[in-house]
Amino acid sequence: MSTRVNPNLIKEIKKFGASDWNACFHCGNCTAVCNLTEEGVLFPRKEIRALQMGLEDKLISGVEPWVCYYCGDCTETCPRDANPGELMMSVRRWLTTKYDWTGLAGLFYKSLPALIIGFILVAIGVFAIGFVKDFNHEAVMHFGHKLEFWLIISVFTLILVPNILRMFYFTVIKPKVNASFRSYIDAVGTLFLHMFTQIKTLKCDKQTVRWLEHLLVVLGYLGLLVITVFLDWFGTENKIIIYLGYITGGLVFIFTALLLFSRLNKEREVNKYSQPTDWFFIIWLFLMGLTAFLVRLFIDTGLLANHFWLYMVHLMILAQWGILIVPFGKWTHFLYRSFALSFANLKKAALNVKVAAAA
Amino acid sequence: MGEKELTGIYFCQLSNGHPDALNISELAEYAKGFEGVPVVWHSGDFLLSDADHIAARIKENNLSRIVIAGDTPGMVKTFFTKAMAKAGKNPGNVILAGFKEHGANTMIRMNLAKGVLYCAVLGVPFEAATVPGETPVNTETMVIGGGIAGIQASLEIADGNQKVYLVERTATIGGHMAMFDKTFPTLDCAACILTPKMVEVGQHPNIELMTYCEVIGVTGGPGDYTVKILKKARRVNLATCIGCGQCTEVCPRKAPSEFDAGTTLRKAIYIPFPQAVPNKYVIDADNCTYVENGKCGVCVKKCPVEGCIDLDEKDQEVEIKIGNIIVATGFQIFDPKRVENFGYGKYPNILTSLEFERVINAAGPTEGNITFRTQDKKGNWIFTKESGSPKSVAIVHCVGSRDENYNKHCSRVCCMYSLKLAHLVKEKLPDTEVHEYYIDMRAFGKGYEEFYNRIKKEGVHIIRGRTAKIEEKDGKLIVRNEDILANRLVEQEVDMVILSVGLEPREDAAELSKMLGIAVNEDGWFTEANYNTDSTNTFVGGVTIAGVCQGPKDIPDTVAQGAAAASRVLQSILNKKVKGSIKELSLENIEEQAKQLK
Repeated sequence: MSTRVNPNLIKEIKKFGASDWNACFHCGNCTAVCNLTEEGVLFPRKEIRALQMGLEDKLISGVEPWVCYYCGDCTETCPRDANPGELMMSVRRWLTTKYDWTGLAGLFYKSLPALIIGFILVAIGVFAIGFVKDFNHEAVMHFGHKLEFWLIISVFTLILVPNILRMFYFTVIKPKVNASFRSYIDAVGTLFLHMFTQIKTLKCDKQTVRWLEHLLVVLGYLGLLVITVFLDWFGTENKIIIYLGYITGGLVFIFTALLLFSRLNKEREVNKYSQPTDWFFIIWLFLMGLTAFLVRLFIDTGLLANHFWLYMVHLMILAQWGILIVPFGKWTHFLYRSFALSFANLKKAALNVKVAAAA
Repeated sequence: MGEKELTGIYFCQLSNGHPDALNISELAEYAKGFEGVPVVWHSGDFLLSDADHIAARIKENNLSRIVIAGDTPGMVKTFFTKAMAKAGKNPGNVILAGFKEHGANTMIRMNLAKGVLYCAVLGVPFEAATVPGETPVNTETMVIGGGIAGIQASLEIADGNQKVYLVERTATIGGHMAMFDKTFPTLDCAACILTPKMVEVGQHPNIELMTYCEVIGVTGGPGDYTVKILKKARRVNLATCIGCGQCTEVCPRKAPSEFDAGTTLRKAIYIPFPQAVPNKYVIDADNCTYVENGKCGVCVKKCPVEGCIDLDEKDQEVEIKIGNIIVATGFQIFDPKRVENFGYGKYPNILTSLEFERVINAAGPTEGNITFRTQDKKGNWIFTKESGSPKSVAIVHCVGSRDENYNKHCSRVCCMYSLKLAHLVKEKLPDTEVHEYYIDMRAFGKGYEEFYNRIKKEGVHIIRGRTAKIEEKDGKLIVRNEDILANRLVEQEVDMVILSVGLEPREDAAELSKMLGIAVNEDGWFTEANYNTDSTNTFVGGVTIAGVCQGPKDIPDTVAQGAAAASRVLQSILNKKVKGSIKELSLENIEEQAKQLK
């Protein structure tokens, strides 16, 4: 079977990152220095090869980019300064736009003005609704609560599930990965393990602190989501729920602030080349945690009645987060990565079957 | 020619603001003063790919010639030949004025750069217009460095019946070649080729051998240099030492042997190796108990020759007057401790290639047996004959070479010497598996490709992929690679790893270059007068370079360059005069010479 070549692939992917991958002389140092590579899951050199040769089909069928947690070892030791770590990040951004059936992810990744216009439109929408409801506190907060709920349902069913299915098609169905039913069941286990723990980061050197920060943000974020949406944090009288909300909200904004600082200082290899989407993701997550925390604090101290603008800001942040960042931005990495790791296990299982058959 | 020819100048680079870099604006100002040059363009004035636009500008100024000026101007030449053809002019009239190519790439060479430009506009070869004046030459010559390049150059000149001072920093001549076991691709014994030459140097009536000496100052000019030399205290009288070795027997102190690349120990009073020239003892002051605290002197008591050992000898400075200088200072090997992932210095059985050369050498610490590095009673990690042999060996190419983090250049010899080492392992231990990991296999010389094929047939596993890390697990070394051609990740368990370390300029090469007024390139190697056509002369009259100090090269090339450098010196001696320095030529002088050639 021959492969179709896309000579513009390298130009296309350069829109998602900032390095000179033509410098690579294919020594394989990056693959071998990485703690996460294993037989059947080889990267990043293979991806650079696909990129240089314009093998788009090959690149899109791989799950390897999601196995990388960007510790930066490959980039630090690359003898050509070809920056393979940033390549993996760029390919992840590019894959996000390829999985997305709406095409909006591609638009927002490539065009900062489009992203900003999107944010402004959502903000206008939120304040318009506030205006329509006369800024009646109860009505607006009731609406906000409903919005959260329906946003989750619709983003999930209309965007995320179809995109995951597309990813499944590109990476498993189309390359004809022949895995047993048993390995699918195992794959579900890995899916949830990695989704909630990102445990593989610990295999990378010197990543324990980053993993812990990341884990606390994820747990804080998911906790906050459950507490505000399903336990109605802003409306409840239950002391336990209120305190849990404070803890999770605090976790989110304190640890995103730490991550934000390290991105600003570029102290880690992963933080050296930030794209607008990276900034929006971390800043909005920070603002969401902070405003949620303050809203509940204002409720408890009775300040919210006179400072209702705070809730409007929170709602705006939340809407922008839910409508733009979650379905089309960096948030999806969280989802795709977990699925990719479980697809990778399917592929490995299929490979083992093949090897065993050959033997 | 009826009509006057007009020339346009295009600067293919801009001033980069660095104070040492050529100021292009100054050059452009200078060029504007030329006759018949109506236009001076700069990089960025127009799109080079827009041939129609350039052609229009050529026609508009009625140019019949174009000069492209800058470093490597050939890179953009085709754009202008195309445009000239489109403009209906002779596309052959695109002339290059390369600054870097003529050694004029820094501000202190502004005169040369202007000269390059002037000659290009006039259509005169730069080399022809920059013939420096000549001065009478002192027929005596100094060679710095007693490796194979310096030895060859000294012998050529001395055999031409001229006096040579051979200045060598260590206590013996021989250099790195003396440490090698075999040469590639012929597998000759290196010592068997080299030691007769060393002996010849030692006995030659025309060679004054100055070992344990260092050049510390050079004054004067081409043909008449005065060189200040530091004669380090050897503490053993070269004239009276009979080399009996009784001193070394009684000496209580030991230190790693430099000649054996630290694979074994020697005494504080020692002969570097049995075939050393001069074959006389030397005292390592850094490890001598007497020098440390004045309480020892057993060697003096034991020495049968009265007054031969003088433990209180001091360094001296001497001066020699010579006409020509040949620089043959060689290289140092890359220190693999700098690559943390390789674990050199942490795991005992990771060796540098130079250490391995000594281990496998019949005159080395193990008498040629490949054994493990073990700790002796005093805690020194050394090789002994008894410590067992490896069942598997990995050879890692390109250590410190072709790497943006260390040395960017290819060291040129490592691929071939690695193949040679693989062969030597197979020869001594046929059942031992040898795994070689390379990035690109550079078998570039006469008989080299054939040698590579031969090694492959011997059953060495030659794997494409750069080693990323080496770790120790249960007493075995794990070498981690991607096998590029098989698309697999390889974790190879071996008993011993040889790191094929690259060559790099000596630490103090830059210091010497300042002393002599010669230049170094971005990698630190000495700069030759012309990359293609004159690889031994420099821009300084009477100073030639030979061997690896000019750039990595193998033994045959080094010998050839040593002989070439000697021929330059002999030429000047036969002519009884030496050419001055091109870099000293004034711009007026270059302009004058160019006009005369026109």
